[in-house]
Amino acid sequence: MAAKIRQPGWYRAIAFTFLGIAVCLGLSTGLRAAFNVDPVYDGTAVLQISLLMVPIFFLGGIGCFDYWLRWASGRKVVDDHADHGAKSWRDYFKVNTDHKVIGIQYITVSFFFMFIGGLMAMLVRAELAAPGRQFIDPNTYNGAFSVHATLLIFLFVIPVFAGIANYVLPLMIGAPDMAFPRLNALSFWMLPLAGTMMLLSFLAPGGSFAAGWTAYAPLSVDAPIGQSFFTIAVQFAGASSIATALNFLVTIITMRAPGMTFFRMPLLVWANFSTSLLVVIATPFIAASQFMVLLDRALGFNFFSPAAGGDVLMYQHVFWFYSHPAVYIMMLPGFGIISEVLATRARKPVFGYRMMAFSLLAIVLLGFTVWAHHMFVSGMSNWIRIPMMVTTAIIAIPTGIKIFSWIATLWRGVLKIDTPMLWAVGFISMFTLGGISGVMLAMVPLDIHVSDTYFIVAHIHYVLFGGSLFTIFAGIYFWFPKMTGRMFNERLGKIHFWLTFIFFNVTFAPMHLIGVQGMPRRVSDYADQFATWNMIISISSFILGLSSLIFLYNMIVSWRSGPKAGDNPWNSLTIEWQVSSPPPIFNFDAIPSVVGGPYEYGVPGAVHAVLNKAEPVAVGAASDSHEGTD
Amino acid sequence: MEAASIPSPVAHDDHHHGPPEANQSSRVNREVLGILLFIISEIMLFGAFFAAYFFIRVVSADQWPPGDGLPVAVAATNAAILLSSSVTMHWTDLSAKRGNQAGMRIGIVTTFLLGCTFLFIQINEYLHLGFQPKTSASASVFFGLTGLHGAHVVIGLLLLWMSAVRIFKGKVGPANYKGLEVPGIYWHFVDAMWIVVFTTIYVL
Amino acid sequence: MVLALLAIIVVASLIGIAIVLVLPWFPEQGSNVAPEIDTFWDVLIVVSVPVFVAVTSMVLFSIWRWRQMPGEEGLDGPPIHGSTKLEVIWTAVPTIIIAALTAYAAILLVDIQSAPAKGTRVVQVTGIQFAWSFTTKTDAGVVKTNRLYLPVNEPVKFDVRSKDVIHDFWVPAFRLKVDAVPGITTSYSLTPTKLGTFDVVCAELCGLGHAYMRQTVTVLPRERYDAVMAGIADEAGVKPLPAGADSAALGKQVFVAGNPQTGATACGACHTMKAAGTNAVAGPNLDEMLAEDNAASIKEMIVKPNIEIVKGYSKGVMPANYASTLSKAQLDALVKYIDQSVHGKG
Repeated sequence: MAAKIRQPGWYRAIAFTFLGIAVCLGLSTGLRAAFNVDPVYDGTAVLQISLLMVPIFFLGGIGCFDYWLRWASGRKVVDDHADHGAKSWRDYFKVNTDHKVIGIQYITVSFFFMFIGGLMAMLVRAELAAPGRQFIDPNTYNGAFSVHATLLIFLFVIPVFAGIANYVLPLMIGAPDMAFPRLNALSFWMLPLAGTMMLLSFLAPGGSFAAGWTAYAPLSVDAPIGQSFFTIAVQFAGASSIATALNFLVTIITMRAPGMTFFRMPLLVWANFSTSLLVVIATPFIAASQFMVLLDRALGFNFFSPAAGGDVLMYQHVFWFYSHPAVYIMMLPGFGIISEVLATRARKPVFGYRMMAFSLLAIVLLGFTVWAHHMFVSGMSNWIRIPMMVTTAIIAIPTGIKIFSWIATLWRGVLKIDTPMLWAVGFISMFTLGGISGVMLAMVPLDIHVSDTYFIVAHIHYVLFGGSLFTIFAGIYFWFPKMTGRMFNERLGKIHFWLTFIFFNVTFAPMHLIGVQGMPRRVSDYADQFATWNMIISISSFILGLSSLIFLYNMIVSWRSGPKAGDNPWNSLTIEWQVSSPPPIFNFDAIPSVVGGPYEYGVPGAVHAVLNKAEPVAVGAASDSHEGTD
Repeated sequence: MEAASIPSPVAHDDHHHGPPEANQSSRVNREVLGILLFIISEIMLFGAFFAAYFFIRVVSADQWPPGDGLPVAVAATNAAILLSSSVTMHWTDLSAKRGNQAGMRIGIVTTFLLGCTFLFIQINEYLHLGFQPKTSASASVFFGLTGLHGAHVVIGLLLLWMSAVRIFKGKVGPANYKGLEVPGIYWHFVDAMWIVVFTTIYVL
Repeated sequence: MVLALLAIIVVASLIGIAIVLVLPWFPEQGSNVAPEIDTFWDVLIVVSVPVFVAVTSMVLFSIWRWRQMPGEEGLDGPPIHGSTKLEVIWTAVPTIIIAALTAYAAILLVDIQSAPAKGTRVVQVTGIQFAWSFTTKTDAGVVKTNRLYLPVNEPVKFDVRSKDVIHDFWVPAFRLKVDAVPGITTSYSLTPTKLGTFDVVCAELCGLGHAYMRQTVTVLPRERYDAVMAGIADEAGVKPLPAGADSAALGKQVFVAGNPQTGATACGACHTMKAAGTNAVAGPNLDEMLAEDNAASIKEMIVKPNIEIVKGYSKGVMPANYASTLSKAQLDALVKYIDQSVHGKG
C-alpha cells in the first residue's frame, strides 16, 4: 500500500487530495488567525482555497509533475518511454505521454461531459414543456442551463477538438509526437478536474452556479459559493486549453516532416494552427474576468461595485473579448475536419486551398474586433455600436468563402455518401443557416429586439450543434478506424445522422419564431402564448437526446468487436492514413518525406508523402535513452 | 478494447529504440518558442487587468491614485532592483554558454536575492499603504495589478530556485543550458512587465 | 442541367420567402420604430432565404448528380484546385450585399438612437429583483407605479436604472430594449403609437425570479392618461398622508406604492388584486389565494413569506423584511385593506 502511494497513480492522487484539503484547512485557519479575521474557521473560506489548490495536489499525485520535479532537483532523468503508449485499458487512466493515448483520453472524457451537459438540457426542456412549474424550482433551473452551457463549451466542444487534433495532427505532419508530451498529459488531466468541480457545485449550499455560462457581475459576485466552482473550474479548463494550444503551435512550427511547407499542410493543420493562436491570445481574458470576480467575491475587491467606483460593464468587455474568439475556437477546428472529410469523400482537392488557409487567418484577426456585438443592449456608449456592426458584418465574408469553397469541392466530384459525409454536408447547410441568423444579429436595429430572446438560443444552437457538433461527429466517424483499428457500423451511423438532423431542426428552428415573438431566454417559465411551441420543442428535444444513445452504442460495440479496419479504408492521401490502424506506438520508423500537396486526387500516381525505412540502429544506441533537455 | 497503438508488424522491436527524431522544420528552438508563446498569454492576462485599470480610472473616473498617494520613489527603486536582476540573469546565461561555473553560481544567487528583495519591499509597502482593496475600485485595481505582478515574481523565483539547484549540482554548462535560458526569458518578462506596471500605476 | 438547378433555386427561394414572410414573427406594432424594424426584418428575409436555398440546393444537387455509382469506387474527381474568377465573384458579391445591409442598418440605427426633443416626457424605470417600478413627473406630481401608463402618440424617454443586479427593460411591442445596469442610467426613446396593454419583460438573467419579472404597459389617450395618473397620484400619496388619515387610504397607498423611505416594495409590484387595479404575475393572485384567509393569517403571510409557498412559486422571492420596512400603522392598515379587498368588503 505504501509502495502504491509512492508511485504516481490513483492511490497517490487520492492521498494527495486529502493532503491538499488538510493543507488548505491549515492555510485558511492560519491566515485568518494571523490577520485577526473572525471566525478563524470558516467553511466557505476553506472551500474557496481548496478549489484553487486541491486540484494541484491531485495533479501532483497522479504524476503530472514527477519528471519535471526530478529534473529540477538535478537528479538524473531517464527517457525510457515507459509511460508512452497504451498496452491495456489501464494505461488510459494514467499519465501517459503518447499523443494518441492523450487524444483518446480527451475524446472520451469530453463525450462523458457531453452526455451530462445534454442531460442538463433534457432537464431544462422537461421544465419548459408547459407553462408554470413542472419539476424543479427556478434556482435549480437556472443552475441546469448554466451547467449545461458551461460543460458543453469548456468540457466538450473545446477539448474534443483538441483531442481529435491531438491524435491526428502529429501523424498528419509526420511527427513522432507533440513538441511537449508531458505538458500534453498535464493539459489533459486538468480537464476531468474542471468538469468534476463544476458538477460538484450542485452539492454546494445554495446550489450550483446559476448565473449562466456568462456569469455577469454583479449577479455572479453576489451569488452563493456554488458560483466559485465555476469561477475556478474555468481557470483550470482555460489553463488546459492554453497549454494544448501552445503545444500545437510549437509542434506545427518546428516539427513538420521535410518537404511539408506551410502550403502543403492539410487544412486540419491550418485550422488547428489558427485556433491555437486564438486560444493563446484570447483565453487569458476569461481567466482575468474570473480572477476579478473571485477577488470581488472572496476578498472584497471592488472591480464591479459601482458604489466604490467600480464598473459593471467592464466585466462584459473583458469576458467577451475572450468569449467571442471562443466561438471561433469552437468552430475553426471543425472547419478543418470538414475539409479533410470532403476532400476524401469527393475525391477532389479542396477548392481554393490558399483562400481557405487565408480565410482561417482572417477569421482569427477579425475575431478580435467584434466582441461588443454581444453587448449592443448592454448600456455601453452608443458610438461603439456601428463600428462593431461593421466588423461583425465583415467577418461573414471569409466564412462565406469557406462555404462556397466546400460546395465547389463537391462539384463534379465522385461523392461517397456515407456517415462522415452525411455529417459534413449536413453541416454545410445547417451552419449556413446559423451564419445567416448571425448576419441578422450583426444588424443592430434587429439585434436590439431579439437580444436575450430565444432567437439567440436558436442562433447559437444552429452554429454550435448544426455547426460544431456536426463536424465533431464527422471527425469521430472519419478517424474512428484509424484510432481503434475497427470499422463502425455504417447503418447505425446513418440512423444516428438522420434522427439527429431531423429532430435537431424540429427542436431549434421554432426558437427563431418564439424569440422574435417575445420569449426571453434563461427563463424557467414563460407567458401562455408560447406554450404550444415549447411543448413541440421539448418533445423533439427528448428524441434528439435519445438519438445520441445510438452513437454511444455504435462506438462502444464497434470498438469492442467491429470488423477490423485496414490502414487506409478511405483511400486518403494524408500521412495518418499511410500507417497502420491503429498506428505504431512511435508513429513511424523514420520521419516521412513530403513530396506534394495533401489533396492531389484525380492526378494518377500523385503522392503526398513517402514513408521511409528506418536507418539501421544498433541495439542500445544513443536514441534509446537520453537525458531530457538540460 | 484494443489499445490505441500496437506494434506495427513492419516496425523493428520498439523497446530497442524510441521514436524517430522529429524533423526540425524551423530554425526556432522548441523550448524558446514555447516560453515565448506562454509569455504572450501572460501579456494578455496583464492586458485584461490593464483594461480594468483603464475602465476604472478613465471611464468611471474613480479617484486616482487611491488613498493619499502612492510610494513612487520606493517603486522606482524596486524597478532598479529588478532591472539589475535582469542584468545579473543575462550574465548568468552568458556564464553558462562560456562554461563559467563560478559565474553561473554567483549570477543565479544574486538574481534570486535581488528578486526576493523586490518582493520583500513590495510586501512591506502593501502593509504601509493606508488603503485596502475594499477601500475603492482604484484600490482594487492597484492591488490587482501589482498583486498579479507579485504572483509572477513568485513564479519566477521558483523557476530561478530550480535553476540554482541544477547549477549547483553541475548540471548546467555550454552543452545544455536550455533549462536555464527558458527561466531566464521568463524572468526578463517579469522585469519588463514591472516597468509597464510601474509606469502605468505609479507614474501616469 | 445547371440552368435547371438555377430555376429550382429561384422558385424555391420565392416560395421560401413567401412562407417565411407570412409567419407571425412580431408582436403588434406598438411604437413608431416597430414598422421600421419589421420592414428591415422583411428585407433581411428576402436576402437570406435565397442564400440558404442556394447553398442547400447546390449541396443536394451535387449529391444527386455526382453520387458515387456502383463501379466507381476507385475513381477520383477532376483535380480542380480553384478558379480565381469564381473566388473573386464569391468574395465581391457577398461584400456588396453585406455592405448594403450594413448601410441600411446604420441609417436605421441613427434614426432609432436620435436624441429625443426637449421637453419629452421622461419615465424613470427602476429594476429590482424581481419587479419593475415606473416613476413619472406629471402635473399632479411625481407618480410611482408598478404598472406603466403612457399617453399614445407622445414621445417618451425611458431612463433605466437598477438597484441590484443587471436587468433589461423590454416591451416586445415597442421593439427596443436596454439593460438596467447598477451604477449608471441607460436610456432609449420612442413614441407609443397604439392603444392597448402590452407585456413588459425582463430580458437579462437577474436571479431566480427572472422569469417572473413580467408586468404590463398600458397606452391610453392623453386625457385618460392624465386622469389615471392624477388618480394614482391621489391614491398613492404624492403628499404623505397626515396622521390619522383614513386607514383604508393608507393601506391602499402602501399596497400600490410601498414605502419609498425604507425601500419596502409595493405589493402591487408582484401581486394581482382587483381592488387595487394591479395585475403583475410575479406572485400569486391575491384575490384567489387569500379568499379563505382572515386578517391574522394575511398578516403572517406578509411578515413571514417563506413559511408557506403556493404551489408553482418559489421561496426567497418575496421580501421577508416587511416587519421592519413597514411601520406598525402601515402594516395594520395594509392588512386591513387587503382583507377587505379580497373579501369584497372595500
